[in-house]
Amino acid sequence: MTVSDIPSRRARRTSVARQREIGVAYVLLAPTVILLVGVLAYPIAWEIWVSLTDLSPLNDGPARFVGLENYRRLAGDPQFWHAATVTIVYAVVTSVAKLGLGMVFALLLARPFRGRAFVFLAVFLPWAYPASVSVIGWYWTLSPPIPTAYSVFMGTLKWAVDSALGGGAWAFLSVTLFNIWRGSSFIGVFLLAGLNAVPPELFDCALLESKSAWRRFWLVTVPLLRPFLALAVFLSITTAFSDLTNVWMLTAGRIVFPVVGTQAYWLAIKSGQFGPGSALSLALVPFLLAVLVVFFWMFDRPETRRARGTA
Amino acid sequence: MAQVVMKALNKKYDEVHAVKDVNLHIRDKEFMVLVGPSGCGKTTTLRMVAGLEEITAGDIVIGDRVVNDLPPKDRDIAMVFQNYALYPHMTVYDNMAFGLKMRKFPKAEIQKRVQDAADLLGIGELLKRKPRQLSGGQRQRVAVGRAIVRHPQVFLFDEPLSNLDAKLRVQMRVELKRLHDRLETTAIYVTHDQVEAMTLGDRVVVMKDGWIQQVGEPLELYGKPANKFVAGFIGSPAMNFADATVVEEGGGLVVTSPGFRIPVPPARVERLRAYKGQALTLGIRPEDMRIGGDGAHAFDALVDVVEPLGSEILLNITIGQQAMVARVEPTVRAKIHEKIRFNVEPDRLHYFDAKTEAAI
Repeated sequence: MTVSDIPSRRARRTSVARQREIGVAYVLLAPTVILLVGVLAYPIAWEIWVSLTDLSPLNDGPARFVGLENYRRLAGDPQFWHAATVTIVYAVVTSVAKLGLGMVFALLLARPFRGRAFVFLAVFLPWAYPASVSVIGWYWTLSPPIPTAYSVFMGTLKWAVDSALGGGAWAFLSVTLFNIWRGSSFIGVFLLAGLNAVPPELFDCALLESKSAWRRFWLVTVPLLRPFLALAVFLSITTAFSDLTNVWMLTAGRIVFPVVGTQAYWLAIKSGQFGPGSALSLALVPFLLAVLVVFFWMFDRPETRRARGTA
Repeated sequence: MAQVVMKALNKKYDEVHAVKDVNLHIRDKEFMVLVGPSGCGKTTTLRMVAGLEEITAGDIVIGDRVVNDLPPKDRDIAMVFQNYALYPHMTVYDNMAFGLKMRKFPKAEIQKRVQDAADLLGIGELLKRKPRQLSGGQRQRVAVGRAIVRHPQVFLFDEPLSNLDAKLRVQMRVELKRLHDRLETTAIYVTHDQVEAMTLGDRVVVMKDGWIQQVGEPLELYGKPANKFVAGFIGSPAMNFADATVVEEGGGLVVTSPGFRIPVPPARVERLRAYKGQALTLGIRPEDMRIGGDGAHAFDALVDVVEPLGSEILLNITIGQQAMVARVEPTVRAKIHEKIRFNVEPDRLHYFDAKTEAAI
């Protein structure tokens, strides 16, 4: 053995060890990959495939590939555009309101005061309470099951709202209110955690420079909370877009208030039209993705990422 | 340029009385350091001057205005925080310009002031960076720069060097001192580090449990501490304390403690006579213990630990039952368990009332 072949032998041995390490890494990753493929990738791929066919339990024979026919038909369907509009308005209105209210809650709870624990509990309760129970409470509040003076009043109110703003307005209003009521609770606590993560000196420092709480809020608090705000919007929009349960339960499953979720459910599950139903539920996904990418960019800007790397 | 006066200043939280009857006159252009252990009320006092804490009782005067009810913005002060408090979403320039922008200064003026301060602090290159991209020392400079650009009447420093590593801290300490000489602005500086207090302060306030213990120039605090707390707090290694009694012997007084007996010098006899037969605390600075000597002021000690620091050696020794520290020349070759003879200069000893802890 000469001195010169020591490094090469060592290198070979290292590369074998390295190969084995890489192999082990793949084995360790396998359960996660299988799980992700099984519960995410496969269903999504299947849904995309179905949206390109006329799959239906009502049809005989194998499903026929129809290309973009289902989407083409959707584009010409005024009902789809109505549902899409309602969904987007629903997402935007609830997100803005939840963010505003949540911010108020968070700012309110950020300072110590007597009885803060009770206020915190009151703010957090709508989120902590199981939605399936509280939604029934709301349903009975808005459509009282027992005839009393109150039920008469609510009936009149519903009629007045619907006749003033058009059919479905009352349903839209009640679903929106419920979503805001429940979501602002969560976002309030979420933003409070964000506020608590900011060193208090940053707010002290602003206090030394300006008397105006309004200016301090916009120039200091909002930018410091930006990642939290972006994530809150992110969560709010995705839940609004995929909302089926709350809408379904509050409107008792009727189609007076069609959002994309409920309409797709009617189409696919109740009417057996799997192809068009899948197309419908996928139709807004590109739009949603675009919005989320923007918010993700806000949440994790390249500059902060780079800085974190060098820190 | 302004004086700051605190009159019977008090701060009470629900349960805690954080600041108690603080009376302090900080002169124009003076660099005043508040020092004390954590929870002594020094930061609360500073925050009351800033207007970040409400005053429970008493008055604060800046210049010739009582500022008790003035919002922080109108007090004409600028504050530097321990964790720098730079806004992560703003560049260095915007951070430094923040206060001036909030006050709606004209753009050209802001630019000039920021540039001047940046040049003064040597951070001109960093103006376009974000705080995250700076080192601790650079961030601290930016925080100081943000205070300077405001041209305030009073600078408030809240432990500004505590987050820096030891070497940088010493360097920034010198820079702060130079800066103060140059700007000649009244400054109140809070720290728990007695070395910082001694090196930076024109005068130093020692606080404990909300009370002012002593106010004085650094060497005054070191040489004539008002009580046992100040004596132990100022100086490193700390002053040695020993329980002792005063007895009369042959017409003079002698301080005795297990392990040594030291005659009281004539100048101190009068004041110590009242403590005859009573317990008191004897204080000896580590540098006042000298190796060698004979006669009345000498005693034997056993070496426990030797700490060679290069410029000096610290000997942890036992005298009788008392553990003490002696600071000796680097040429001394002492070994563990060795018995060494020390002597003290009786004039350099400190005596404290065992009960009240006040200096005698």
